[in-house]
Amino acid sequence: MTRYILRRLLQGIPLLFIISILLFVMLQNMGDPLATMGGRTVTRSEDRARLARQLGLDKPILVQYIYWLVGNDWTHVDVDGDGIAETQGIRKGVLRGDFGNSLVRRQPAMDVILDRLPNTLILMLTSEFVVIIGALVIGVYSAIKQYSLLDNAVTAFAFVGYSMPIFFIALSAMYIFAVNFKRWGLPYLPTVGMFDPQVGETPGQIILHLILPVLAISINSFSAYSRYVRSAMLEAMNQDYIRTARAKGLPRREIIFIHALKNASLPIVTVVGLDLPFLLGGALVTERIFAWPGMGRLFLDHVSRGDTPVVMGIMMLIAIAVIIFQILTDIVYAWLDPRIRYN
Amino acid sequence: MSTKKIITLMMVLVISLSLVLSACGGGGTQKSSKVATLIFTQEPDTLNWLYSNMYFSQILAQVYNVWTWEYDDQNQPYPVLITELPSVENGGISADSKTITLHLRDDIVWSDGKPITSADYMFTYEMYINPVNTVSTTYPYDQLAGVETPDAKTVVMTFNEPFAPWLGFWKSLLPEHILRPVFEKEGTLDNAAWNKAPTVSAGPFVFKEWQSGSFLRFVRNDKYWGDKPLLDEIFVRIVPDDASQVAALKTGDGDLGIFISYPDIPGLEEAGLTIVSVKSGYSEGMFMSLSDKTNPALQDVSVRQAIAYALDREKVSKDLLLGKTRPGATLWDNSPYVDPTLTPYPYDPAKANELLDAAGWIDSNGDGTRDKDGVELVLRYGTTTKEVRQSFQAIAQQELAQVGIGIELFNYDSDIFFASYGDNGPTYNGDLDIFEWSDVPTSFPDPDIAYWLCSEIPSDENPQGLNAQYICDEELDGLFQLQTTQVDMNARIATFHQISKIMYDKVYWLSLWLDPDIWAVSSRLVNVKLSGSTPFYNVTEWDLK
Repeated sequence: MTRYILRRLLQGIPLLFIISILLFVMLQNMGDPLATMGGRTVTRSEDRARLARQLGLDKPILVQYIYWLVGNDWTHVDVDGDGIAETQGIRKGVLRGDFGNSLVRRQPAMDVILDRLPNTLILMLTSEFVVIIGALVIGVYSAIKQYSLLDNAVTAFAFVGYSMPIFFIALSAMYIFAVNFKRWGLPYLPTVGMFDPQVGETPGQIILHLILPVLAISINSFSAYSRYVRSAMLEAMNQDYIRTARAKGLPRREIIFIHALKNASLPIVTVVGLDLPFLLGGALVTERIFAWPGMGRLFLDHVSRGDTPVVMGIMMLIAIAVIIFQILTDIVYAWLDPRIRYN
Repeated sequence: MSTKKIITLMMVLVISLSLVLSACGGGGTQKSSKVATLIFTQEPDTLNWLYSNMYFSQILAQVYNVWTWEYDDQNQPYPVLITELPSVENGGISADSKTITLHLRDDIVWSDGKPITSADYMFTYEMYINPVNTVSTTYPYDQLAGVETPDAKTVVMTFNEPFAPWLGFWKSLLPEHILRPVFEKEGTLDNAAWNKAPTVSAGPFVFKEWQSGSFLRFVRNDKYWGDKPLLDEIFVRIVPDDASQVAALKTGDGDLGIFISYPDIPGLEEAGLTIVSVKSGYSEGMFMSLSDKTNPALQDVSVRQAIAYALDREKVSKDLLLGKTRPGATLWDNSPYVDPTLTPYPYDPAKANELLDAAGWIDSNGDGTRDKDGVELVLRYGTTTKEVRQSFQAIAQQELAQVGIGIELFNYDSDIFFASYGDNGPTYNGDLDIFEWSDVPTSFPDPDIAYWLCSEIPSDENPQGLNAQYICDEELDGLFQLQTTQVDMNARIATFHQISKIMYDKVYWLSLWLDPDIWAVSSRLVNVKLSGSTPFYNVTEWDLK
């Protein structure tokens, strides 16, 4: 197993290299970061030319990529625009842990990203937890009570939830549970942010502000997960070993949760394993609507400003996470199904 | 316990928890401190003005770091850090208009108690023009011949030529005693921690905390030298979604919001908020491109005038923008430089048809659009993805079709739409015949705009050129260069009347509607006045009911 993991990790290195080249080239063609610099008026031509030189954006794309990858502290750059490269470069490059400075925030790109990571994890892990628990409970119940009233109701709810765009769910939830509840004189939930400044950043406030975004994400994701669980459980419950277990008189609870659910978990683990790395990317729409300061919003804000260092940082983090979680998924496979071996 | 019971128990727990948390922590909780919550739809890039011309970075200046002079709700300048605004009469501006002298107030101090002196001005000037700092713009500091500080309270600015837009200086002041050691140690201010967390400030509030993507907090500056603020804290909440901003304002999760879209105004007023329309100098307008690549029809002034007559801009203001604004005539409407004799072109499709017929643009092949010498009068009309612009594009397409002008519509994200010639941007490359955005004189309320100069036309040699209209009108060019040297305001006004007349008659630019900043203010936040240039100029007077 150790050799397998090491082999997979080594295979990931050239993969990351290729991904980084593709992403870098794509980002160079997504707009001009100096076009407005975020202002409401266009940037002066003299300032555009100066900033392009100072930030290294006037270099050919290959040189920009090399600087991004290995830094430029081995060469000199022209800072004052006299055509002579007189100043020693200071960038160390990604291979030495320097993702460069954000063109928007003018601070290290990784600092910008890591500022948002905890918030994203709070939102996404809570949502994932709610979704998985809810899907397991409802999926298992639907499978063992197939075509019951609850099964039909959940099936209908799942299809409605899955087919509604998340912005509609999010805005509807906000207007019902916040705006209209307030208008009707009921206790109401907060609309945006992570806490009320009058109260402060307390755990209670954060939980309160989590309710609506988690609800929005959960409704959308729960539908798919619960269907996976239901179909996997239905398949498992019709296997011979379950019939044998019943014939041997094992308790029903043990049959369902120990024998059926464990074997039904393989396809579910696959889906969760594929989804987990993307939790790092946050929830683009939900974070924007509920003003949750996570990675999704960071990505949107910075991609629209052509901030290559930050966007590359986020994308590479996700790429690394995908590789790691795929390996973890394989390990969980082996644990769940003793027949699977990686020798 | 059965599965059914487990599900029931979980549901009861979740609902109970929601209600308990909601009841004890929801909106409306009262505490003794006065905290006003402002909603920004974008997060400021930085708190060091040198590094961003972003609107939300700029408008915060009056909270924590005042300008040397600011503007009131009529956009009139008044002195803040200086004893009086320099003028020829008081000797602040020399007779040849090449020297401007500022006299600093005696009582001004940073929030750490250190006096604000001319050394802070000199340091700020040095940081702007030093090429080791990647500042967002060096303008107007690169227009200075030099700065002198004969004593701690006097700043003398000298120019090689008279410089009329001098009010664009000193919108930011850096604390020399804090930042010079940082600069000397790091060789640049680019990575200074102060940029994100200013430890001292000159304004009525001081920076307390900034949580990325979430909020910024500013608390009262107890050492503020001016009138003490009535609020204890300014809390800036970042809410990027317009619909969410509206919801937050309605529920009281925000006290003040900006860039309210016109359709949201009735709902906010119904919820008890006050809508304030502020003259910010912005005008939504159509730019006509006369590049070699664009449709040659636009070279004909009759065609451009016909477009002006064919668009019912009054109706658009009334229906699409709920009558909250009106079409303008020039880029300088709502400023002292406006020529009052110029009024918007009226809606007159018959006149448009007459002009086009007379110019020889007729539908000779019966395809519904006019043509001349084999050239179809079909124009490529592009703008950003902003909803109101797309709505106007659709209206314009219909109205222009009625006079035989075909329109192809294009929409781009801002960073693509505004991308330079060198970056193959559609606007600056002449890929669009007509392009639309909302613009303002660079240092409003100063009237100067650089992108009408012939020298700004983009080319391979000038890939960052800003004259996307590709208009090189020698008379206009001369007048634009002249006005920057006219320190005498009356002479400058006369020049702008000439500029406006040329642009109006030749329809180089067509105002669609004046584009004021629309703010929403909650009923509990009182004494709020807003300026188009320095919006929070009276933040010390704001209070909560």
